[in-house]
Amino acid sequence: MATPIKIYIPNETTSNSVGAIQVHRAISNLIGIEEAEIIRNGTWGAFWLEPFIEVEKEGNRIGVCYKGVDLSKLKTLDDFLSDFESRDPFDIRNIEFIKEQKRIVFSRIGKGDPLDISFYQNQGGYDSLKNALSLDQQNVIDKIKESGLTGRGGAAFPTGIKMQTVSDQSSSLKYLACNADEGDGGTFSDRLIMESDPFALIEGMTIAAYAVGASKGYIYLRSEYPLAKIYLTRAIGIARENNFLGTNIQSSNFDFEIELRIGAGSYVCGEETAMMESIEGRRGLVRSKPPLPAINGLFDKPTLINNVVTLATIPPLLNGSLSEFSDLGSGKSVGTMPFQLCGNIEQSGLVEIGFDITISEMIKKYGKRTKSGKPIHAIQIGGPLGIYLSSRMMSTKLTIESLQSIKGSVGHGGIVVFDNTVDMSEQAKFAMEFCAKESCGKCTPCRIGSVRGVEIIDRLQKNRSSKEDSILLNELCKTMEATSLCAMGGMTPNPIYSIINNFPNELVEK
Amino acid sequence: MTKIKEAIRPYIEIEGGLMPALHAVQEMEGYISNDAISELGLAFNYSNAEVLDVLTYYDDFTLEPSGEHVIRVCRAEACQSLMSKELTDHLTDHFGMSLGETTNDSKITLKEVFCLGNCALGPSVMINETVIGEANKDKVLNFLNDIESKN
Repeated sequence: MATPIKIYIPNETTSNSVGAIQVHRAISNLIGIEEAEIIRNGTWGAFWLEPFIEVEKEGNRIGVCYKGVDLSKLKTLDDFLSDFESRDPFDIRNIEFIKEQKRIVFSRIGKGDPLDISFYQNQGGYDSLKNALSLDQQNVIDKIKESGLTGRGGAAFPTGIKMQTVSDQSSSLKYLACNADEGDGGTFSDRLIMESDPFALIEGMTIAAYAVGASKGYIYLRSEYPLAKIYLTRAIGIARENNFLGTNIQSSNFDFEIELRIGAGSYVCGEETAMMESIEGRRGLVRSKPPLPAINGLFDKPTLINNVVTLATIPPLLNGSLSEFSDLGSGKSVGTMPFQLCGNIEQSGLVEIGFDITISEMIKKYGKRTKSGKPIHAIQIGGPLGIYLSSRMMSTKLTIESLQSIKGSVGHGGIVVFDNTVDMSEQAKFAMEFCAKESCGKCTPCRIGSVRGVEIIDRLQKNRSSKEDSILLNELCKTMEATSLCAMGGMTPNPIYSIINNFPNELVEK
Repeated sequence: MTKIKEAIRPYIEIEGGLMPALHAVQEMEGYISNDAISELGLAFNYSNAEVLDVLTYYDDFTLEPSGEHVIRVCRAEACQSLMSKELTDHLTDHFGMSLGETTNDSKITLKEVFCLGNCALGPSVMINETVIGEANKDKVLNFLNDIESKN
């Protein structure tokens, strides 16, 4: 018997948001559909092509975008297949957007059913955990140090050093907390791992826990990601059934459990100390550091805290990709970074590539042009606490060092493009408004300063030449920067400074 | 009352169980009532004020029932670049209310949200648990009609 035709229909938030659910329903109801196998894959991360439907016949897999297509006229599987052929389907792996990337961490997304653990293992999944369990714990940490990996959540702290600190603590009980509170506007890389390759996160957590001696892991997932919750819940269960979680994992002496905790709509809970407060069942108020969470963290125990992408980067480092990863880039900007190209851009999606690329290359090669067709006016990099760059700054490199030198940050890798209809004074006001909305309230300059910031910018919008308000805004920003405990208040001034400096006369007159 | 007790029970013994317990009550009742606050206080050995202190910090927990359908309009940067402000205005105009309000017939609550992770195809709106990408007023209203007609 010939192998059945496979039809891949993504089940992922963005694909679903533009019709994948309806396409799945229509295809499932075709007469003769039992002759084919439907696979609910993840996304390839080339979002302008979603819902991207693929058909695989005798190993040849091609696909095409089905956005806005009326499938109601198609009655049988054959009708669908001839309709599919008529749309000039292609192999997505051959398009420049995918081909030019260096997908090490996101190597599996889109390829198969994210919950098919056999598929995961056939693609090299869990080889790294087995390898890690055969190594001494210190050896595992040394490999992470050697890789040069820095935290992908925003702070870019060296991951190996953090692991070493937790490992060095003598406590008999240690925790691992995965920060899945991906709250920066313009980011979705954590979500893609959780929805399209959840075992990668679970495996990464298990390896990290083994290395530092943690027996319990939490995933703190934001409530805005209901589909990720479903995927993670199932994936944790499947991993447990297959002895990749639980006691004596893969016949070793290592025990590890993961519990999923859901946030409740607070941005600051993505700050590690506020996240711990929330997991412990309190208001998400930030704690002052020291003590470092690595020494005294969750429930007063040493705790390794990393974000989703950082943890999902660990398996490839123990599975033959270490030198490929660490040979890329230099300084803090080593390895690949999953940039998330979005906003007003034609080809939006996930771009995993080395840091050493300019904004202009990123736009030309991957994003192409604005969705509106109008000229680019501003690019926001690094989320609400990052900076806005003007179209004259396109030669800026996306390395951690290059952005730091202009008071910005790569952050979590979000790149949001704006066309020339954007009002930069509104963006400045939004930075303060967002801070006022999301401040945990612990530090006065953040809690009240942000409210005053909105008021000052309101006045500046009416009179941009007001010297008094311009000085006041600058002083307010300096105060927030110097006297806030965490990045919320401390870095909210960054987008404001960048708008003042990079967009002369758009907020204040020079 | 016993329903609330039962919803809370699985979380009493786990570390930091108040948050998942609050989620369980919110999901079951649609809000956190005074009775639920008392039950949560008893279960976790907190005063009512302490329970209130925690729950009022988080946007997801409400002291009043929300409308039958909750529409969340994303106001974060990537959606702003694709005219989410105009979309928000269209929706508030259509329903004749501001963000954070519920229609008189308790059908619709309109809220703001900061990022749904759907930034590649904004502007985004979440209706109950379904995200709509490249959203506009018509898409939102058609979706509401669809779920209403299924009821």
